[in-house]
Amino acid sequence: MRFTVERRLQQPRWLVVAVPLASVLFGFVVAGVVLLATGHNPLSSYRQLFDAAFVSAGSLDQTLIAATPLAFTGLAAAVAFRMRVFNIGAEGQLYVGSLTGAAAGLYFGGRGGASPWVIALMIVAGCAGGAAWASIAGVLRAFFGTSEILTSLMLNYVAGYLLTYLIFQSESYWRQTKGFNATVFPTGKPLPRNAEWPAWMLHTQGGIALPLGAGLAVATAIVLWVLYRRTRFGFEVQVLGDSLGAARYAGVRTRRKILAVMAISGAVAGLGGVSQVGDFAHSVDGDPNGLQKQAYGYSGIVVAALARYNPFAVILVAFLLGGLDNAGNTLQGADFPSGLVGVIQGIILFSTLGGELLVRHRVRVVRTPPVVEEPA
Amino acid sequence: MNHTLLITLIASGVAYGTPLLFGSLGELLAERSGVLNLGVEGMMLVGAVMGFWTEQRVHAGAVVSLVVAVLVAALGGAAMASIHAFLVITLRASQIVSGLALTIFAGAAGLSSYLGNDLNLSDIPASHSFHAVFPSSMQRWPILGPIVFGQTPLVFVSWLCVIAIAYYLTRTRLGLNVRAVGESPGAADAMGISVTRYRYAHTIAGGAFAGVAGATFTLALTPQWVSGITGGAGWIAIALVIFAFWRPELCLVGAYFFGALQALAPELQARDISLGPTELWTSAMPYAATIVVLVLVSWRGAARRLGAPAALGTPYVREQA
Amino acid sequence: MRNRKLALGAVALVIAAAAVVLALGTSPGKAKSTAAFKAAWIYVGPHNDGGWSQAHEAGRQYVQKMLGSKVQTTYKENIAVGAQFSQTVASLVAQGYKLIFATSYGYITPAIVAKYPQVDFEQATGTYTAKNVAEYFGSAEDTIYLSGMAAGAAAKCNTIGFVVAYPIPEVIRHTNAFALGAQATHPGVKVKIVWTNSWYDPAKEKKAAQSLVSAGACVLGQNVDSPATGEYAQSQHIPWVGYDSDSSSFAPKSWLTGSVYNWGPYYLKRVKAAMNGTWKPGFYYGSINDGFTKLAKYGPGVSAATKKLIASKQKAIENGSFYEFSGPLYDQSGKLRVAKGSKMQVLKGGTNSLYGMNWLVKGVIGSPKG
Repeated sequence: MRFTVERRLQQPRWLVVAVPLASVLFGFVVAGVVLLATGHNPLSSYRQLFDAAFVSAGSLDQTLIAATPLAFTGLAAAVAFRMRVFNIGAEGQLYVGSLTGAAAGLYFGGRGGASPWVIALMIVAGCAGGAAWASIAGVLRAFFGTSEILTSLMLNYVAGYLLTYLIFQSESYWRQTKGFNATVFPTGKPLPRNAEWPAWMLHTQGGIALPLGAGLAVATAIVLWVLYRRTRFGFEVQVLGDSLGAARYAGVRTRRKILAVMAISGAVAGLGGVSQVGDFAHSVDGDPNGLQKQAYGYSGIVVAALARYNPFAVILVAFLLGGLDNAGNTLQGADFPSGLVGVIQGIILFSTLGGELLVRHRVRVVRTPPVVEEPA
Repeated sequence: MNHTLLITLIASGVAYGTPLLFGSLGELLAERSGVLNLGVEGMMLVGAVMGFWTEQRVHAGAVVSLVVAVLVAALGGAAMASIHAFLVITLRASQIVSGLALTIFAGAAGLSSYLGNDLNLSDIPASHSFHAVFPSSMQRWPILGPIVFGQTPLVFVSWLCVIAIAYYLTRTRLGLNVRAVGESPGAADAMGISVTRYRYAHTIAGGAFAGVAGATFTLALTPQWVSGITGGAGWIAIALVIFAFWRPELCLVGAYFFGALQALAPELQARDISLGPTELWTSAMPYAATIVVLVLVSWRGAARRLGAPAALGTPYVREQA
Repeated sequence: MRNRKLALGAVALVIAAAAVVLALGTSPGKAKSTAAFKAAWIYVGPHNDGGWSQAHEAGRQYVQKMLGSKVQTTYKENIAVGAQFSQTVASLVAQGYKLIFATSYGYITPAIVAKYPQVDFEQATGTYTAKNVAEYFGSAEDTIYLSGMAAGAAAKCNTIGFVVAYPIPEVIRHTNAFALGAQATHPGVKVKIVWTNSWYDPAKEKKAAQSLVSAGACVLGQNVDSPATGEYAQSQHIPWVGYDSDSSSFAPKSWLTGSVYNWGPYYLKRVKAAMNGTWKPGFYYGSINDGFTKLAKYGPGVSAATKKLIASKQKAIENGSFYEFSGPLYDQSGKLRVAKGSKMQVLKGGTNSLYGMNWLVKGVIGSPKG
């Protein structure tokens, strides 16, 4: 007896609903067994998890803080992966976007511009920075055929070291050099008031504030959806994603498309970077124990894959994973080892990832037919 | 003890390049069969913790306990790789995403950290660790002394591995089959080679090497355990495979080059030499150099010939009639 | 398209379903409110790193042991500065924690503490104080000076190697104290430094130690957290001075001594104050006298004469007749920085204060800029 896996010609609707549901539940069950085996009550652990992510006072606010950058990096990955351009450099593009965006905020804000204009310029600068950094990998892929998977990954490290260098090891434009506190420990120069991004109180009592960045992420998702679904550009990109040969045959200029897709992807990641500065940190975070430890760019790839590269799904998955991420901090502590949090998150990811197969394929049990040896 | 800067750099390059070498050899095996595994860092960390734990618990003399520890580390890495193999080969999940998920699962904030804490491995010195085996008179020889005779046995083991893998991939039937699987799984399948089996075997073997790479930290370089002890070496190992055009002998050269680069910043500081933002460029150089090499290779349109497996990163699905 | 939308719905459904299951599965009431006072510690590294965070963790355990069931304490480890810190604080506050010790610089921002006026915060090594924020640290430089004396006495050559983390005033201050101590027992000795640009990285620290030895150092010291420097020192049969905690077990033959922290008594005092409502913000700077910092036990390489010398110097520090950062102090270029008769202060004096020091004393070889 053995299993065969066949591609489904049609994906039944109920499966598309049932499989992700079942695989997430399966993940929780497996993780529950791990919890039991390590002497923790899974039910109360999960309850704590959900409380901390979505229920308790102030939890949604923090989940939004975690979800906003994930939405941007998830969209950045989704845009590129959809076309089979594997940009795993959202991490570095986010850093560079935070640098260029902060530069715009410091410069134009410092000159006393009106807040909406300063913020608009920050957004443009952040997108431009991210797009430029991504274009390094884009140009190399388009003109030299160099694998963007690897170049964009390498560029993440270069950007990370650059970020730390600018705040910790040099007296750059982004570093705070005035005042006594600036000598005690290296920090980024704080943005002027008119460059800080606004947030809207959704629920005053619960303290839930919707940061401008979260709104921008949703807007970006809509723009990307329209771009991919309703324009010729989007159509060509999708053809290209499905088959390079067919696209060439149809007269699609592949080089330009690769360049454009990398730049768009980088711009979205860069927007995530400037949102970090404008919405939350209000200065460039060059601390190796800060932004770089969060690894939003890498998590974004996971978000995009779980969302199957659909922009709206990215927003939802980013929100859920942001909750999981936020709640992880609640769970760990003196009586719950932090390593177990990663184990649980990993199991749920594995399970969701594995479940994908069942949507796209049919698994059948067949009896092995007697092997007929053919004479060589 | 006073050697010239060059000799010191080469000697450090060999010592600190060894975990990179083990890690990249493993990744090379997996990639040659067409499986990209971005979870090297996680597999290394599991190997690091398993190796250190074994060495602490096996009371049987230095040699036995260290050998067993390396084997257990290899097993730990292999176990992690088999999760990735199952997901990407059998379940055809995205190799990039699965590798990243493996890093989360096994990495510094995951299984390796849990195991190390649960087994109480932190803040204790190693009872045994790998040392130089040649007599100290030989270690004092000029040039060869620090570079060769001052190294631990793991270094020599890594050399054997390079030779064995190079021979395996170019001179044996199995090795040629692996390359076929990585280049053109359809054709390999038609020839009667089991793509699935080859990919499983090499992904798991790759994990074992990553485990040994992790153990090189906890048993030889810095004999202790702390969460995240490999400090990102797994990612450099992935870069290295490309840097080396998927060839084991070049992995060795690249690993020692990257290892030496890591030693460059402190060496320059200790000798009071200032070459601009040393920390920035010495840390960023391995990654920048890899990009340059990648471009040079692909520029001449030679990537394929130089070894990039054509089917890297794509699941193999046998087309059914 | 429709399929994808359904998939979204599915994921949302899972969450809802799971939430319902959990709500039914566990007791409906809120977590039982205990009378115990809740205090939490936030660490930048693993709680058992054998260095900085572990010293704080020992302090937390001391508080828990001394106050027993009257307090409930926990820790959060590997917490990044920025978003992760604010998430962690929010969840602690939601769970009813009333006192939060943030054990690293950069955690506390005015925005975060303003959000939770009902909670008291304490930050180690920083300078920001507010209505609900206190800062704490202490004069480790005093004991580092004493440990430098041990290093100087043990040096058979003229160069001591010192492995250092980040080029910031805290580390520069400690380096200077170490060098002054070494020069006290070994006049004219040079202290060579190598920056690792990391608080805890065994491989980098070992490399730094290696390059210092190959550049001629015959004794090693450190202002980083792992014992890797000591392990290397032992392999080269040279003496070593540690830092942060007693890690003599990693290199018993090389171990001379080391400056170690004892956060427990301060934590106990503050938790007690918060419990009975007398907690006030402030800036605490501990000393040898109140047990905040001390010298770890000596290794075999410290001679009886050196021990005597160190003991009498410690007496002088304790009774205030000696202070290492009093003039005349010269910087690397030989320029007089602190005039004879004046003493450095913790916060006042710009770059001539303990928290603002950005220059290295005469006899240190290396750049204060990293």
